[in-house]
Amino acid sequence: MLQSDESGSETKIEQDVIAFGKDIFKELGNQQPSSYSKNYWSGKAMAFSMERPELKTNLFRLVDVLPALRNSSAITSHVQEYLADSAKEISGLLEWGVSAKPGSIRGGLTSVVTKKMVSEMARQFIAGETPNEALKPLRSMRKQGLCFTVDLLGEYCVSEPEALEYLSRYESALKVFGANVNRWKESSPIIDNHPGETSPICISVKLSALYSQAYPLNFKKSVEILSERLALLVRQAKSLGAMLYVDAEDTAHNPIIYQVFEEVFGSKEFLDFPFPGIVLQAYTRDSEARLKSLLQLAQRRANPIAVRLVKGAYWDAETVLAAQNNWASPLFSIKESSDANFEHLSRILVDNHGLCLPAFGSHNIRSLCYACCYAESKGLTSKDFELQMLYGMAEPIAKAFSQQGYLVRLYVPLGELLPGMGYLVRRLLENTSNESFLKHTFVDSKEVEHLLKAPQFRD
Amino acid sequence: MLDNVAETNFKNESPTDFTVLRNIRLFEEALSSVKSLIEAKELEAHPIVAGKAEWGKTTIESQDPAIPTLALGKVNFADRTIADKALISLQSGAKGWADTPPKERAEIIRKIANLMREKRYFLTALIICECGKPWMEADGDVVEAIDFCDYYAAQMEKLGEPQKLVEVMGEHNIYFYQPRGVALVIGPWNFPLAIPCGMTVAALVTGNVTILKPAEQSSLIAFEFAKLVLEAGVPSDAFAFLPGDGEEIGAHLVQDRNIDLICFTGSKAVGLWIIEQASKRIDDQRTIKKVIAEMGGKNAIIIDEDADLDEAVKGVLYSAFGFAGQKCSACSRVIAVGDCYEPFLKRLCAGANDLIVGDPKRPETFLGPVIDVESQQRLLERIKKATEENSLAFQGEVPQEGYFVPATIFKDVAADSPIWSDELFGPVLACTRANSFTEAIELANNSEYALTGAVFSRSPNNLVLATKEFKVGNLYLNRGSTGAIVQRHPFGGFKMSGVGSKAGGPDYLLQFLEPRVVTENTMRRGFTPELL
Repeated sequence: MLQSDESGSETKIEQDVIAFGKDIFKELGNQQPSSYSKNYWSGKAMAFSMERPELKTNLFRLVDVLPALRNSSAITSHVQEYLADSAKEISGLLEWGVSAKPGSIRGGLTSVVTKKMVSEMARQFIAGETPNEALKPLRSMRKQGLCFTVDLLGEYCVSEPEALEYLSRYESALKVFGANVNRWKESSPIIDNHPGETSPICISVKLSALYSQAYPLNFKKSVEILSERLALLVRQAKSLGAMLYVDAEDTAHNPIIYQVFEEVFGSKEFLDFPFPGIVLQAYTRDSEARLKSLLQLAQRRANPIAVRLVKGAYWDAETVLAAQNNWASPLFSIKESSDANFEHLSRILVDNHGLCLPAFGSHNIRSLCYACCYAESKGLTSKDFELQMLYGMAEPIAKAFSQQGYLVRLYVPLGELLPGMGYLVRRLLENTSNESFLKHTFVDSKEVEHLLKAPQFRD
Repeated sequence: MLDNVAETNFKNESPTDFTVLRNIRLFEEALSSVKSLIEAKELEAHPIVAGKAEWGKTTIESQDPAIPTLALGKVNFADRTIADKALISLQSGAKGWADTPPKERAEIIRKIANLMREKRYFLTALIICECGKPWMEADGDVVEAIDFCDYYAAQMEKLGEPQKLVEVMGEHNIYFYQPRGVALVIGPWNFPLAIPCGMTVAALVTGNVTILKPAEQSSLIAFEFAKLVLEAGVPSDAFAFLPGDGEEIGAHLVQDRNIDLICFTGSKAVGLWIIEQASKRIDDQRTIKKVIAEMGGKNAIIIDEDADLDEAVKGVLYSAFGFAGQKCSACSRVIAVGDCYEPFLKRLCAGANDLIVGDPKRPETFLGPVIDVESQQRLLERIKKATEENSLAFQGEVPQEGYFVPATIFKDVAADSPIWSDELFGPVLACTRANSFTEAIELANNSEYALTGAVFSRSPNNLVLATKEFKVGNLYLNRGSTGAIVQRHPFGGFKMSGVGSKAGGPDYLLQFLEPRVVTENTMRRGFTPELL
């Protein structure tokens, strides 16, 4: 009988997911995320690159190099080298610019315009260069009923001075938020008694940038040093009552990162730190085992942890590395398997919600609806979990879920353009990928039924 | 290049994935078992001739460069008598080995690869101990050795098939290869397994009877390899192992009239001397000695103004200081274009300062010792002199014990400075600024060597320009200059970097062979098979 009960409740959940998903889609209506809006150059460039995939590489490579260019003639010549063949099709202005001679007045203009375009593009996804600059957009997020977690962009550090500088950027960001955010009237909880609103201040930390020699063969020392450095931030966060997430990264760093998380939040000093956050990547094949050991940590702490469940953002790089070394890939090779695993892990998180605050991080309406419906089928309410999305990627979706009474947190990167480029290019790739749910939704306008279909494991 | 040998079923061996904690444990266990062997005095090396141990008059101790007081094992050197005995044995085995079908020879060479796979962790640990090679690079050494075996075996299977030439009625033409005869392989210590193994199996799989004379500094690891060659089934009269002093035994063999082919990797001075000696006919010597020599480089990396400095700094640090700069492919010159020079140099020096220096037996070590005391003293002397003549940008700190040489970076180095032109084979890097990318390429090309080079640039035009004008054997775009992989990156240079075709590439084995053509007139009494 249990069998049929189970499958009965599965059918029920599936029906709920479809109904809920349709509601969300209705709410979206004709709204577009600003990143896709063709009122902006970034939206145009993205549309263009989706129509002409063979030029996507050139366009994104140009975006990647621009902040490193030191003068206008360098910008003009790069624009020419990358786009000469396709300039006509982007816009008349660009064609005019592409044909300019580097060093000429027209060339100078080209470079100014190009730089402006790329800055505009970056501003879609990056809320500001400094914490002070970000206060305004952060406050307006809360005003709209969305909470945030702030990430400082810093893609790669080659030396200890760079690592320590990155650390001090986090420290001063916490200081700035501590001095300002709590004073906002918008700092009162969006949803009362929601554990995710323990504090309006929340940061996400990328550990690999906090130690220059963090590599697998230096495991012990990496864990030791990163634990010390993370503890500094956690101590500061604790004194401000701020929340903190540790981001997951690539396979080379993840074993170090999870170990550091365990050492710091398993230590006596931080046993009572409220809902320390960690990220779980559904595209990794070992994610279930990883989750089990995180839940064991929560059990040992006797205090819950927050787990941000995501699909994972390093798929291309990891797949290439594994292929070049003839290693079995640590990731699912098919996107749909990651989607299916996301739902599988959502169930485990919900079933263990006493040990953790589940934070479902996705732009995929199906994935989010499933997580919500499954949670509710198990008696959880919107106070027992939250949803997370990236800043600038899917505002209409964020708002739709927020209006349905869920706590939605945006992951907000801050930083200068140069270190931010890696992040920007990753977002552009994501937005234009043929497997992107956002593209399917907002560009390809696929059938709602198709978008809400239950994913299956394919590998 | 022969099209039909370019594609084979060959697949590269996987390097060890150190994100898997179990693999780290396997390395630690192998290192501790090597330690036990050292303590039990069970590691040794001695000449092997006709499958039997030989003993010369001289015995030395092989040392751990990180702990020079630690003797790893006794190495008995071959003398001239033993060398002559080896030549007699090989001459008697030459025909039998040459007549062994290529497929059979290839299978034996693949067996060597399999034996190395079985002993992979032991071999890696021994390389770490004897040559002071860090884990990841010692692992790469063994992987490359395995690749050479499998790749050359696959190549030989193809070359072993006689090829048809143009078909004309009344005539039958075939093209096939025969071995050259007696091969002398003189190996280096810097890739103590991969390079001697690659050269040896290339000579053997092509049917040459072969002497392996390893570098003195890496005799123990070479001895382990030699045992596997025989264990795999190479006949005892087709292979001889002669550890010994280069000047004594190496010179003696190079000058022997019965040697047909010399395959050498090492310094320019020795390489040129070998080429000179090889060209001399001794008495009524029947063949002209063929020399394949790989002799080093003064490799440059160009950092274009628009380069991704994260990648460039990382790439230069590894290319210049990985294995303490003791790779022929190592980067010893950096040319940064225009305004990126200062910020690049600043980040590079800061990065160099944080590299982990120490005993390579520890997993995290990035920069270990150099190979021996001579090397250390020579490098320290050259650094001292260069410091007087150039502007020192960075010098690291190193432990007192062990043959360590600090990572050293010079800036604003003039193109006529000895540190710009001489190969030092150590962790020493000369940097300079160029006004333009074109000037950077000119500076890079201004060297007697032409082995490897690299360019970090995001300008499509400059990458095309570099491809055409940056004239080196192996050019890497937007990555470091070291780490060539068999088949994917056939390796070797020209100018003073050597003669001969690229190791791990489709033309390599041809150098160990003599092509023969047989033309048969098929017309007899006015009829020919084609028209029957």
